Amino acid sequence: MISLGLRLVVNGGREAVTRLVILTVAVGLGVGLLLTAVAATNAAVTWNNRHAWFWTGTSSVVPHTAAAGTAPLWWHPVGDFFDGRQIERFDVAAAGPSSPVPPGLPRDPAPGTYYASPALAALIHGTPASQLADRYPGHLAGTIGDAGLPSPDSLVIVVGRTPAQLAQTPNTVQVRSVNDVMPGTFVPPCYGPHCGRVPSPEGLAYFPNDAGGASSSIDLILAVVALAILTPVLIFIGTATRLSAARREERFAAMRLAGATRGQVSLVAAIESTVAAVLGTAIGFGLFFLLRIPVAGIPFIGQPFFPSELTLSLPDILLVAIGVPLFAALAARMALRRVNISPLGVTRRARPKPPGAWRVIPLLAGLAELGFWTIHGHPASIPGQIQAFASSFFIILVGLFIAGPWVTMAAAVAMARWTSRPATLLAARRIGDDPRAAFRAVSGLVLALFITTAAVVAITTQDAKETTPFGTVAQSNLMTDQIAAPSPSGSRVTAPGPGAPAAALAARLDAIHGIHGVVVLRADPTLTIPGTFHDLGVNTFGDNPGGSVPPIPADVASCAQLATVPDLGHCPAGATAAAIPAGVFGPNGFFGSQGTSGFTWPAANVPAARLDALGVDTIGVETDGTTTAIEQARTVLETEPAYPVLNAPSTPEDNVVADVAANNGYQQLANVVILVSLPIAGCTLVAGIAAGLADRKRPFSMLRLAGARLSTLRSVVALEGAVPLLSVAAVAIGTGFAGAAMFAREAQQHPMVAPGIAYYLLTAGGIVISLAIIAATFPLLARITGPETARNE
Amino acid sequence: MTSIEKNAVTGNIIEARSLSLSFGSTPALRGASLAVRRGEIVAVMGPSGSGKSTLLHCLAGILVPGEGEVWFGGQRLDSLSDDRRSALRRMRFGSVFQSGQLVPELTAEENVALPLLLSGTRRGPAMAAARRWFPVLGLDGLERRRSGELSGGQAQRVALARGLVAEPEVLFADEPTGALDSVSGELVMDLLTAAVRERGTTVVLVTHDARVAAYADREVVVRDGKVGTLTGSQP
Repeated sequence: MISLGLRLVVNGGREAVTRLVILTVAVGLGVGLLLTAVAATNAAVTWNNRHAWFWTGTSSVVPHTAAAGTAPLWWHPVGDFFDGRQIERFDVAAAGPSSPVPPGLPRDPAPGTYYASPALAALIHGTPASQLADRYPGHLAGTIGDAGLPSPDSLVIVVGRTPAQLAQTPNTVQVRSVNDVMPGTFVPPCYGPHCGRVPSPEGLAYFPNDAGGASSSIDLILAVVALAILTPVLIFIGTATRLSAARREERFAAMRLAGATRGQVSLVAAIESTVAAVLGTAIGFGLFFLLRIPVAGIPFIGQPFFPSELTLSLPDILLVAIGVPLFAALAARMALRRVNISPLGVTRRARPKPPGAWRVIPLLAGLAELGFWTIHGHPASIPGQIQAFASSFFIILVGLFIAGPWVTMAAAVAMARWTSRPATLLAARRIGDDPRAAFRAVSGLVLALFITTAAVVAITTQDAKETTPFGTVAQSNLMTDQIAAPSPSGSRVTAPGPGAPAAALAARLDAIHGIHGVVVLRADPTLTIPGTFHDLGVNTFGDNPGGSVPPIPADVASCAQLATVPDLGHCPAGATAAAIPAGVFGPNGFFGSQGTSGFTWPAANVPAARLDALGVDTIGVETDGTTTAIEQARTVLETEPAYPVLNAPSTPEDNVVADVAANNGYQQLANVVILVSLPIAGCTLVAGIAAGLADRKRPFSMLRLAGARLSTLRSVVALEGAVPLLSVAAVAIGTGFAGAAMFAREAQQHPMVAPGIAYYLLTAGGIVISLAIIAATFPLLARITGPETARNE
Repeated sequence: MTSIEKNAVTGNIIEARSLSLSFGSTPALRGASLAVRRGEIVAVMGPSGSGKSTLLHCLAGILVPGEGEVWFGGQRLDSLSDDRRSALRRMRFGSVFQSGQLVPELTAEENVALPLLLSGTRRGPAMAAARRWFPVLGLDGLERRRSGELSGGQAQRVALARGLVAEPEVLFADEPTGALDSVSGELVMDLLTAAVRERGTTVVLVTHDARVAAYADREVVVRDGKVGTLTGSQP
């Protein structure tokens, strides 16, 4: 039978060859997408793991046990910025030849040299030194290799220092190994004894700018994304195979007449589908390797991949190479279960029972559970919250799949009952005849659109919650350099910087074109501001029991300097110095959320002569917002030897970029899922529609002969595709919004923020592409229902 | 006397004049002529491949002849645009074919109502008009059945109802009983002829079955693309 099946594949005539070619192309496209999704998932894992060494020496990771005799490496990580982009900087000093070496470097940089990523090296080369290169002492010794970079776009630099230099630098630690495992969860930087339990208490309270994703969540996110892309692809391959198998019914009836058993006929069907699947799989592999390099450049996660990262493991290759043909063979055999192939011809089995209304129960239950948490409040513990919301969303998702056929049928029945348009009647009846098949073609969209909608809404809500609204443009152009590490209580974890150099530094900053003013906040441990002052105490610390508000520790600012940055407030008349809250000065502090231009700060009883001797907590620089001014100021601040960099001087925009970088990456992933899943659903619909046209070739031809317009039949085809596509998309998106709204209110403690225009454009664009793919069947319709079919053949 | 005047005098509702049509290099009609009177049932007979179905399709405006003319109701049919010929088939012609004309997803009554819906009739009146044919054709109780749930004879009677629901002036039937057993075929023809006689509908019927042809008022034979009578004279 196998050789007979193969002969029929090859010698079956033009129609058989055409069918084989079409199925092969369909499988090839599907496999190409499948492999790309699998490889992209592998690349994303690699991309994430390449962030691991950024966490070296921090309290979030437990260091490996080093080999005996390994010399320590002085390690000082600093996040930096340039023109809205994040730079990871690591100042290192090897204590000996056996000191650990970061990945991608041939050796630890010697003092006076540095290794930079290719993208940063190019930036250094193409930017005036006063804006960037001057920050890095010495010269470029070489570029960092791919092994040390998450992405070709990464800006990373490893600067060589002497042990003596780094020993004097705050926020420096000695390490004997470079971290190579991403933290399971991310621990926010915390200073002081009040900080909670961390994996490595002796490590630095440091959070890289480009942190990657916590391994515990990145695996889950990638798994969900892979599923959201793979589901429509697998459905497409399965649908094309099933429909191709069903079209050979007449030939199978002839075989039965000649004595073949049902099992033999089924085997022949499977052989043809398997042959097409094998050929298609080979084409899919070819497509993948051909397009690997351009695909790597697509920023699926907000950054491009290295082409070498888009890899397939041996299990991946075997799974696809063997799994897809097996899947096709199974799909072909299942397709013939719906028909009764007897020697006298082919009859369809009785119509399947319509899906029952009970199918909506799981969906309603999921929404009810989420609603319960919204109304009654979520569990107190984090694990409890995760369990509550995860289970709600999971039940909703499963509920959508279960309810889908019934919703499809209900919509079709309603359409058929109320319409007078023949095209709508024909399409509605077709959909209602087999709602499971109609829903199956678009079921991949359920997963994709529900998850991406909920994710995008959650991300935009989180972004809105995390980003600091700027009171004024001037406040948004304010750069702050924190010299002393603060804690929420206002105390300092590191000592203030020396007082004397600040005056000369301020003068150098003032001399930069585009700098409008400089304010130095100096430390005075005895100085406080009443907590009731503009409710700053409540905003910073909250109420104490009994309703009292604690006073706020304050720094001192020169009124002459404060006058150069009027948006920060004013001194009282006649004062020479004012008290300004310490430890919270900055773009994410109260200045960011409150307009302070109208504040008149309390006078500080500190003589001007003593002011310059006080230690420095923070330096604020008011810029004109241009890249030139900001980056020159940043360079001057970073290279001031008196004030080693603790956290890079930053503007509110720099911090917004850092805050939302990860979220933007996930949003990009969601966009990719939308853009891929919608056209795939369109292709799957087309396969179903084409088979449906073949099923109804004769009655549709007769209708045309009886005077029906071709446009009427086109409308039927369009509706058969568009109605399931649009209704499922609407339900999935609507449920996604509903779930996300409840999640935002309850878990994020923030009103839902609708996604930006990009989401709507992408979704609409994907739908338009799908509809255009469906419209591609119109020429087929005209051809198979032409007047020549009226002739008896 | 003009052709219009001539038709008005003679009562011909539809007429083919010297039709010639080839499919590729194969001639199907070679100067075929046929005139059908209003209210007449004409059986077009002939061996397989003689061109009888092609003649019927030309008369119905489905095919345009390479040469010759087709006249309907005093109007030249073959020179009309495809859209106008389609409109004629929707509104003034009916058709019944051998098999496979019912839309499988629609119920029997929806299939019957389809021509009216295609012509823009509202759903309610269209369905009411369709239902009126069910008792006439012995299809009581089958309104909600799908085509797959009907016997061959029942399906063909539904097709007949669909062909007549729009009250056409001419019904074109191409082997309407070809897929039926003799008993079912007789039933269909009995009902067809009763329905058309009552309404004065003209019928052009293609068949190779003499028993079916016997229901006609007149029989013509198509041989080698030409139309003649059984006696060999011109029709």
